[in-house]
Amino acid sequence: MVVGNVRRAHTVMSARLVLLSAGAVLMILPFAYMLSTSFKPNALVLSIPPQFLPHQVTTSNYTQAWSSNQFGHYFVNSLWVAVVTTLASVLLSAMMAYALARFQFPGRTVAFGLILVGLMVPGLMMLIPQFLLAKKLLLLNSLWGLVVFYTGGNLALNTFLLRSFFQDIPWELEEAMVVDGGGPWTRFWRLILPLSRPALAVVAIFTFLASWDEFTWALTIINDPSKYTLPIGIALFQGQHSTSWGLVFAASAIAIGPVIAIFAIFQRQFVSGIATGAVKA
Amino acid sequence: MRVGRLIVFLGVAAAVASMAATAGARTSSARTTTVTFWDAYSAGGGEVKTLEGVVIPGFEKTHPGIVVKDVTIPYDDLHQKLVTGVAGGQLPDLVRTDIIWVPELANLGVLAPLDQVMPDFKKYAARVFKGPLTTNYWKGHYYGLPLDTNTRIFNYSPAALSAIGASGPPKTFAQLISLSAQAKAKGYDLYAESGTSCWNVCPWIWSNGGSVTNKTYTKASGYLNGPKSVAAIQMLVNLYKAGEMPGIIVNSNAGLGTYDGINQNKYVATLDGPWMDAIFSAAYPKTQVVGSLVPAGPAGSISVVGGEDIVMTKSSKNKTAALEFLRYMLGYGTQAQLALAGQMPVLTSSSKWLTRVHPYYATYVKQLLTAKPRTPTPKWTQIDQVITTDVAKAFQGSESVQQALTDAATQIDGLLK
Amino acid sequence: MRPRRLTASSNSGTTSDSLGRSVTALRPRFRPTNVRRRKEITAAYLFLAPGFFLFALVILYPIVRAFQISLFNWSIVPGTASHFLGLHNYSRAIHDPIFWRALENTGFYMAVTVPGQIVLGLATAVLLDAHVPGRGLFRTIYYLPVVTSWVVVSLLFQYLFITDGGLANWILHDNLHLVGHNIDWLGTRWMAMLSLGILGIWKGIGWAMVIFLAALQGVPVELKEAAAVDGAKAWARFRAVSLPAIRPVIAFVTVMLVIGSFNVFISVFLMTKGGPLDETQVLLTYMYRWAFSYLDFGYGSALSFILTLIVFVLALAQLRLFRRPAEAHS
Repeated sequence: MVVGNVRRAHTVMSARLVLLSAGAVLMILPFAYMLSTSFKPNALVLSIPPQFLPHQVTTSNYTQAWSSNQFGHYFVNSLWVAVVTTLASVLLSAMMAYALARFQFPGRTVAFGLILVGLMVPGLMMLIPQFLLAKKLLLLNSLWGLVVFYTGGNLALNTFLLRSFFQDIPWELEEAMVVDGGGPWTRFWRLILPLSRPALAVVAIFTFLASWDEFTWALTIINDPSKYTLPIGIALFQGQHSTSWGLVFAASAIAIGPVIAIFAIFQRQFVSGIATGAVKA
Repeated sequence: MRVGRLIVFLGVAAAVASMAATAGARTSSARTTTVTFWDAYSAGGGEVKTLEGVVIPGFEKTHPGIVVKDVTIPYDDLHQKLVTGVAGGQLPDLVRTDIIWVPELANLGVLAPLDQVMPDFKKYAARVFKGPLTTNYWKGHYYGLPLDTNTRIFNYSPAALSAIGASGPPKTFAQLISLSAQAKAKGYDLYAESGTSCWNVCPWIWSNGGSVTNKTYTKASGYLNGPKSVAAIQMLVNLYKAGEMPGIIVNSNAGLGTYDGINQNKYVATLDGPWMDAIFSAAYPKTQVVGSLVPAGPAGSISVVGGEDIVMTKSSKNKTAALEFLRYMLGYGTQAQLALAGQMPVLTSSSKWLTRVHPYYATYVKQLLTAKPRTPTPKWTQIDQVITTDVAKAFQGSESVQQALTDAATQIDGLLK
Repeated sequence: MRPRRLTASSNSGTTSDSLGRSVTALRPRFRPTNVRRRKEITAAYLFLAPGFFLFALVILYPIVRAFQISLFNWSIVPGTASHFLGLHNYSRAIHDPIFWRALENTGFYMAVTVPGQIVLGLATAVLLDAHVPGRGLFRTIYYLPVVTSWVVVSLLFQYLFITDGGLANWILHDNLHLVGHNIDWLGTRWMAMLSLGILGIWKGIGWAMVIFLAALQGVPVELKEAAAVDGAKAWARFRAVSLPAIRPVIAFVTVMLVIGSFNVFISVFLMTKGGPLDETQVLLTYMYRWAFSYLDFGYGSALSFILTLIVFVLALAQLRLFRRPAEAHS
C-alpha cells in the first residue's frame, strides 16, 4: 500500500515534469530561434530549411547593434527612466492606496471609480491630448517627460493592486499604533509599507517592465537622438526598404537581458508578493 | 531582505544611469544657430553614416555658427511623429518627407512655400528633374525641393533567369506571361510583388495605357476602372491564379519577402528601387541582381516615381540657416555622397556622372524619363488604402477585376472632392 | 500565510464601492472622536492628493480632451477651426462595416485568449504547485515571454508564421508531417485571428501562471491534506478545495485579461497591419488608421470611447458575476 503510494507519487511527479518540460520547450523555442538568428549572418536569416544551429556563426550583429546609433546610451536612458518611474510610481500609488483602503472620506468612491476608468482607457487615444499637455508643461524632448507620464500611467493599476493588499492587513495592528499615538503618516511608513514589501515588489516589477518597453510615447515626445530609449533604438534597425533581422534580434536580446535578470533574482519575492494577496479583485 | 536588495539594486542602477546620462549630454554653445532636420534615413545601410559622418560635418565646417541636429526616425513612425508635431506646433526646421506626404502637409498649412520664401528658388528648381520637382507642387505653390528620387525597375537574378532557360529579362507584357509559365515549370516564380498598392501595381496600369484618375486629378471613375486599367490588373490576376506569382502580393505573410525569395532561388525578379543593389551587396553578397526596364505594354514602359522631398516648416525660427542647409543638401558634392549610399540624386546634371558612381543607376535614369508620380492629393494615404484593398479583392477572387476597380473608383471619386 | 480577508458584507447599510465590494471591512472598529475623525479625513486627502493630482493631470484630463475631440471634425492644426458634430462620429461608427468587423475580431481574440491563458496558466500553476525539481527555472522560462516586449515577440512570431518558409510550418508539415499542406497562418481572417490569439496566449500564460501559483500557495495545506485523506480524487479535490479558494484571483485575472485583450494592438499592427483586405482589423488598429494615417482624430477618438465603454461594461459585469457565488458561501 505504502509502496504503491510512493510509486504512484513517483509516477505523478514524472508526469508533472514531462508536461512542464514540454510546455517549457514551447515557451522557449521562439527565443532559442531568436538567439540563433541573432548569431547568423544576414543572408542566412530566413533560410529554408530553417537552421537552428547556424552553420556560420557570427557575433557581428551584436557588435554592430551595440556600436551603432549610441545604443549604449539608449540603454542607460531606458534604465534611468524605468528606475525613476518605478520609485515614483510605487510611492505615490502606495499613498493613494493607503488612503483608499483605510480611510472613509467624501469622494472616496468617486476617486476609486475614476482610477478604474484610467485602467481601461486605451492609451493610444490619449496620445495627442497628452502631447499637447506635455508641451504646456515644458516636458517635450526630455526624459522627465517620459518619467512623469509613465508614472501617471502606472498609477491606476498599482493603486488598484496595493489597495486590495492593504485592506487585508489586519486593522488591529494599526489600532495598536493609534493607541500609542501614531499618526497616519507614522502608521503608513512604519507599519503598512514594511508589511507590504512583497506587494510593493510586485508593482515595482510591473512598473519597471512597462516603462522599459514603452515605445509610442517615447517616440512621440523625444526629438533628441541622445535621449532615445531602447525600444526606439531597436525600431531604428527596421529600415524603410528592408529589415536587418539579425540586428533587430541581437538588439532585442540585449534589451531583454536586464528584465530577465530582475525576474530571475526577485522571482521568489515576486511570487510570494502575489501569494500574500497583492493581486485580488 | 529581498526588498532591501531590490531597493539597493534600483538605487545603484539609478545612480549609474544618471551619471552616464550627464556624462553623455551634449553641450551646445549659445551663439550657434541650430537647424533641426527630421529624416528617415536607414540605419542599417550606409545612409545614416553618410549623413552624420560626411554630409553634416562638411556643412558645419563650411558654415560656422550653424549646427545641424538631425533626428533619424524609423520610416514607419515618421508620419505619426509628423502628425503629432503638427498638432502640438512642434515641427523641426526641415523635414525629409516621402513625396506622397507633401500635399497633405502643405494642405495643413504647416509648410513654407519655398517659391516665395527662398529668393533663389528658381535657380535650384531649374537644376533638378522635372518629375520629382512637381511632387512639391500644391495649389499654386512649390513647398519643397526634391532631395532624392527613385523609381522601380525590373530587378532580377541573372542566375535564376538562366536556370529557367530564359535568354534575357522580359521586355514586354507578352514575354512576361510566357516566361512566367516557363519559370513555373522549373519551380520558380518569375515575378514576385509584395502588395497591391499603387506603388506596386500602377506601373502595370500605366504601361498598359490605363490611369488612376483624369489629368486634373478630380475623377477616378472611367480611369481606374477603364478597360486598359482593368486589363493590366487582369493580366497580373491571371498570373496569380495560374500559380505563377507568389501569394505575398495579397498576404505579406504568405511566403518569403521578395529579397529573401530571390536570394533563396525561389523568385526570379521583382520591381524595386535603387536601394536594392546596396542591400543585396550588404545582406546577400552571394546573389547578384541586375535591373532592366519594366516590361513594356502598349503604352510603353512606365514606372512609378518615388523619393523624398526636403521641405521647410512655416514655424521654423531659423529660416535663413535652414535654407542654407537645404541648398547644401542639393549641392553637387552632397548629392554625389548620398548617391554613394544608394540615394539617387535629383540634379539633372547627375545623369552625366551618376553611372560612374554605380553602373546600375543607368537603367533607373532611363526609367525615370517616363515614370509617373502618384496622384498629388492630401487624401493620398486614404486613396492608396482603397486601391490596396480593392485590388487585393480581385486577386483573392471575391470580386472580379472590373467590379473591384469600379468599387475603388467610386470611393476615390468621393475622396477627390 | 496571507492574512484572512475581513468580510462583513452581510451588514446592513453597508456602502459598496464601484466594484460592488463591501467597504465595511475597512472602517475602523472604534468610534473616533470628531476631532480625530476630521484629522483622519485630512490625512486621507493628503495621502491621496499627490498621486491623484498627477493621475488627474496626465490621464483624466487627456481623457476628457479626447472625448471633446470625438465630438468634432477635429482639425489637428492649432488655431484652425474644428466643426462641432455632436454624436455624429459615434453614429458613423455604427454604420461602418469595418468597425463591426474590427469589433467581432476583437471579441474573437478575447474569446480565444482569455480562456486560453486562464486554463493553461492555471494548469501550469497546478503542475508547479509541488516540490518539483527546477521550479525556479520553470517559472523563469514560463515568465520569459511576459517580460519580452510586444514589438520583439510580434516580429518573432510573424517570422515563425510565414506560410512558405516559416518555422511553424516547417516543423508541422516538413518534419512532423502533421498537416498535409502548409497552413496559411496569417492569410485568412479567422486563421489569422487565431494565430494572433496563439501569440497572445503564449505571451500571457506566464503572467496568469505566476498569479495562480501564488494564489494556490495561499490555500492552506491542511485543507488540501484533509481532502486527500478523505480519498478524494485529484480533480475533485482541486474543484472542492483549491478552486473556490482562488476564486477572487480568477476574477482578477479574468478582468485584467479582458481589458488587455480589448486593447490588443501592437501584434496586429506589426504582423498583419489589419490585412489582408482589412479582415484582421481590431478596434485599436482601426482607430490608429483613422487618427494617425487619415488625420481624422474625431472619428478615431469616438472609436476609442466605444472601446472603453465596452471594456468598462464587461469588467463591471464580470466583477458582479464572480462576486455573487462567493457571497453566497460566506
